[in-house]
Amino acid sequence: MAQEMIVKNKKKRKIKPFSVINGIIFIIICFFTIVPIWKVLIDSLDLYTSYGMRLWPKRFGLDGYITVFSNSTLYRPLLVSVITTLAGTVLGLLLSTLGGYVLIQWKMPGRNILAGLLLFTMIFSGGMIPTYLVVKNLGLTNTLLSVILLPAINVYNLVLMRNFFEGIPNALFEAAEIDGCSPFQTFYKIVLPLSKAALASIGLMFAVAYWNDYTNFKLYITNADLYNFQMKLRSLILGSDLPTALGSATENTVKNAAVMVAIIPFMFIYPFCQKYFISGINIGAVKE
Amino acid sequence: MKKKGSAGVAVVSPKKTRKYVIKYKSFYIMFIPVILFTLVFHYLPLFGLGYAFTEFRGIKDPEFIGLENFTRMFSSQGFLNAFGNTLKLSIVKLILNTGLAVIISLMLNEIKSLKFKKTTQTIIYLPHFMSWVVTASVFTLILSPSQEGLVNALLVNLGILDKGQEIYFLGSKKWWTPMFYVINMWKDTGWGTIIFLATLSGISPELYEAATMDGAGRWAQMRFITMPALANTIITVLILNLAKVMNLFESVFVLQNTAVIQQADVLQTYIYTQTFNSGALPNYGYTTAVGVVKSLVGCVLVLLCNYLSKKVRGRGII
Amino acid sequence: MRKRKLMCAFMATTMVASTMLAGCSNDKSSNNGTEANATQGSGTTASGTEGTDDNKAGSDVEKPEKITVMVDGTVVTKENGQAEFEKKWEELTGIDIEIIQPDHSAYYDVLGQTFAGGDWPDVVLLGSTYYAGYANEGALWDMTEAWENSELKASGRINNEELIDSLYLDGKLYGFSPARGNGCVTYVKKAWLDNVGLDAPTNYEEYLEMLDKFTNGDPDGNGIDGDTYGVSAAGLIGTEAPYVNYLPEFYQDAYSSFYQKEDGTWADGFTEDSMKEALTRLKEAYEAGYIDKETLTNKTSDCRTKFYEDKFGVFTYWAGTWATNLKTNLANNDRDDELVALEPIAELGNYLERQAPVWAITSKCENPEGVFKYFIESMLDGGDMQTLWTYGAEGTHWSTKAETILGVTYEEGQFHMLENLEKPGTAYTKNHIDPLLSIADFIDDKDPGIDQIAEEARESAEMFIENSTLVVTVPSTDVMSQYNGDLTTLKNSIIADVVTQGVSIEDAYARFEKEGGADWSQAIVDSLNELNK
Repeated sequence: MAQEMIVKNKKKRKIKPFSVINGIIFIIICFFTIVPIWKVLIDSLDLYTSYGMRLWPKRFGLDGYITVFSNSTLYRPLLVSVITTLAGTVLGLLLSTLGGYVLIQWKMPGRNILAGLLLFTMIFSGGMIPTYLVVKNLGLTNTLLSVILLPAINVYNLVLMRNFFEGIPNALFEAAEIDGCSPFQTFYKIVLPLSKAALASIGLMFAVAYWNDYTNFKLYITNADLYNFQMKLRSLILGSDLPTALGSATENTVKNAAVMVAIIPFMFIYPFCQKYFISGINIGAVKE
Repeated sequence: MKKKGSAGVAVVSPKKTRKYVIKYKSFYIMFIPVILFTLVFHYLPLFGLGYAFTEFRGIKDPEFIGLENFTRMFSSQGFLNAFGNTLKLSIVKLILNTGLAVIISLMLNEIKSLKFKKTTQTIIYLPHFMSWVVTASVFTLILSPSQEGLVNALLVNLGILDKGQEIYFLGSKKWWTPMFYVINMWKDTGWGTIIFLATLSGISPELYEAATMDGAGRWAQMRFITMPALANTIITVLILNLAKVMNLFESVFVLQNTAVIQQADVLQTYIYTQTFNSGALPNYGYTTAVGVVKSLVGCVLVLLCNYLSKKVRGRGII
Repeated sequence: MRKRKLMCAFMATTMVASTMLAGCSNDKSSNNGTEANATQGSGTTASGTEGTDDNKAGSDVEKPEKITVMVDGTVVTKENGQAEFEKKWEELTGIDIEIIQPDHSAYYDVLGQTFAGGDWPDVVLLGSTYYAGYANEGALWDMTEAWENSELKASGRINNEELIDSLYLDGKLYGFSPARGNGCVTYVKKAWLDNVGLDAPTNYEEYLEMLDKFTNGDPDGNGIDGDTYGVSAAGLIGTEAPYVNYLPEFYQDAYSSFYQKEDGTWADGFTEDSMKEALTRLKEAYEAGYIDKETLTNKTSDCRTKFYEDKFGVFTYWAGTWATNLKTNLANNDRDDELVALEPIAELGNYLERQAPVWAITSKCENPEGVFKYFIESMLDGGDMQTLWTYGAEGTHWSTKAETILGVTYEEGQFHMLENLEKPGTAYTKNHIDPLLSIADFIDDKDPGIDQIAEEARESAEMFIENSTLVVTVPSTDVMSQYNGDLTTLKNSIIADVVTQGVSIEDAYARFEKEGGADWSQAIVDSLNELNK
């Protein structure tokens, strides 16, 4: 792979040794990253229950995955996950971009108060019971709205988004204003198109948070019909510690398969997001 | 509502402010959804902070007990120990994770083969998606003091350790903390690179080309182009994470055991065992009081760093 | 239907992101609507049971119209056919039942916030740690009278009245367990015993000899000496009462927490000599390599995996269905699957039975007498209802039809369990009540399903029941809730230090004194003894 890299590097630079070392370092890093995952992967394909590490399954079989996917009780949660993730990510991105855009209006009266108001909520929170009471009094318990609306406002992501917007050269805003663009028009004609990398990375953060969410689900949803995929996987993974449950013959295999199933979607999502990481605008050195 | 608030800040001349408010009218409108969500889901529950001064177990009405929760908290040796551990584990972890993520992002940025770059990025971010429970069980195995434990087996085979002298990494007071950092780095470094890589991708290639023309080498480019572009993001990420520094829980909870409790007890796990072993219902008053202390610490840290950032770079993160 | 509507509403909102604001206000109004519905719903529950106050526990208890129940994952789950269970239950009683079943791992969080929110269910299921807590707060209805005068108690079918007696707190009964809490017994691999030429140990000396052979010999017959060890456990001490149940042969008569002596006074077992002796035994066995080196960091699932892989030969684990479970997994791993459920060795005397979860009626319930009679008492009616709570609903969880299930053919009229809906490939085992642990016999001993229970499960359960003592819940006091968290952490840390870190018992107990453990312990004992007065 390192070789291919050098070949592709058709620029006239001579610093090839650096690239080679860099490549090797990453191969090593990847190796160490994969080892623990490999253990899970192999266990999920091994019908034999073993404690130690193995390079290859002792008795290969896909039964773990078949069990996970033939379990028809998983399909509904999968649908719930897709709905909440899509809806939540769109909503989350909307709130973060709007908030981030407003927060770069340094001259706006009250801007600092509004920023402080947001930051305050990142540090202080009312706690589990009060939040539950609010959700309950809004009538959101046992509806998907609770798990979509609640995580949508995320100050952390909002500030990061603002951070990206700051990189947009002021000249563009001025030009837009001269052209008679209203703030709304500037927002979706200039800010959003120029922030693809930001939208992709923060969108990814939202999507992952929604997909993996179980804290909100377990507190606000008591109706198993509305459980998401993550809730089901967790109960699959943790389930057989219940003294009442009877594990199947391949208890360990199924558990590991469930863990892998939870990871697999992300192997495809990131490369998809990375598409938006390449086109850049003039930021950084021009500012400051 | 916001107009009222903004008019309140006007110090120079109310007339000018009013003009500005009108000019920024559409921005206020845009902020309405944000502020609405914040008020409903974050400010409404804040009434719960009052529980900190009560004893409240969720059945009878909260009973006002003044500062008792706080005095109880600070008079307990276990609490103070957990408090110190939380700060230490969390801040070191934050610095290590962020530092490593920055270095890796910079190195990834130097990779020219797009395919290799994408594959690498995807691989190193995957551990983020393994739940802590699973991570803990896999690392317990890897660090196991037996021949199954990859690390010990390696050390024995390399002749560094004698057979039978295997180190019980997670069951040893000396080794637990470093291992905790390593496992955290394994799990979250890759995830941390996303935001830095997104920032880096915003730097125009022309800047590098111009620099190359001027004869700037790789290091010079990194120092004068890449790092300044990243600095803002690094500082923002660090300060934002400081706000949550005291919330350390799951990673510690799944990795700790009774032998390393003095090293590994953090506030959240401390509260958990307190409640679990008390024989009574959880006292939300006490939990809230601890939450308030955690928030205050986070607040001080954020304000301090924001102040430093302002001092050094001329601007804060908010 | 409501949620589908809301989902649609939300999907629409998402698609037209620009109408976000309008969407928000829409949501709000629809929420108000649902809230109103909810209040109406609970209103009917209340009105249906009005005027029952003068009906004290007697024969003519008014039948409730609706009962709301909050349960954890030990009652049949939605995915596993809860609807059929519910239908059958309603059919048998003519009462509307609403089952709220939060995620098992978050049960007590949800229960806590539900109580704080004010919409209390009529009936809740509580683990022993929470039972005393909720009773102390006055959240539970005093069912003493209802139980004492119940037909169930008078029926003569109760085979374990002591269990109910043990649930009395300060002379009052707030909860009811239909079954024992079960506990752990020690399983030994039969083939390993044969390979090293030993019989099942009956005392500690023989037990140690067995561990020695298992550790240093070749019990698995793979030709390598010393690649196995004796026993493993998840932690040196448990996190819940009865704490010492995973390594009972070493703890023997020692108990790490508070217990009531014969004369009724309380003591902390940790400060007694028996505990120091137990720690010495553990330390020696750990240093000799008899006990898994990784005991500190093991999770129960790690122990099971290692057991299936023939890493060790002695495993103390749940009696009953788990006996079958361990056996199946061993067989699946091509290991010899015969296990001996060891009778407690002489020094141990008895295994410990943990306190069972209880069903309790909340103090806001409008017609507690009715709920007791129709919900709790009926659970053990010795007939259809008990079958429903034990084996589930006919046609969904069990059947007597002639058919082939999971490769086994049954004749017409032969009781058998059906395939598990949630875990295809395995048979459904039981509903809430474990047939082996039920405290009430079926009428005329006609338990329909007892014959289909695996032999090893029945044997280990019967052995356990014969050789166990019940661990009684420790009442909660203010002093206890203040200090016991710190105290337990300190105790556990000391146990770990002594056994695994080479600290001497004298030094460890000196630390116990120094860090306040002795004082806390004494203060809690005093507060418990205060209760007796």
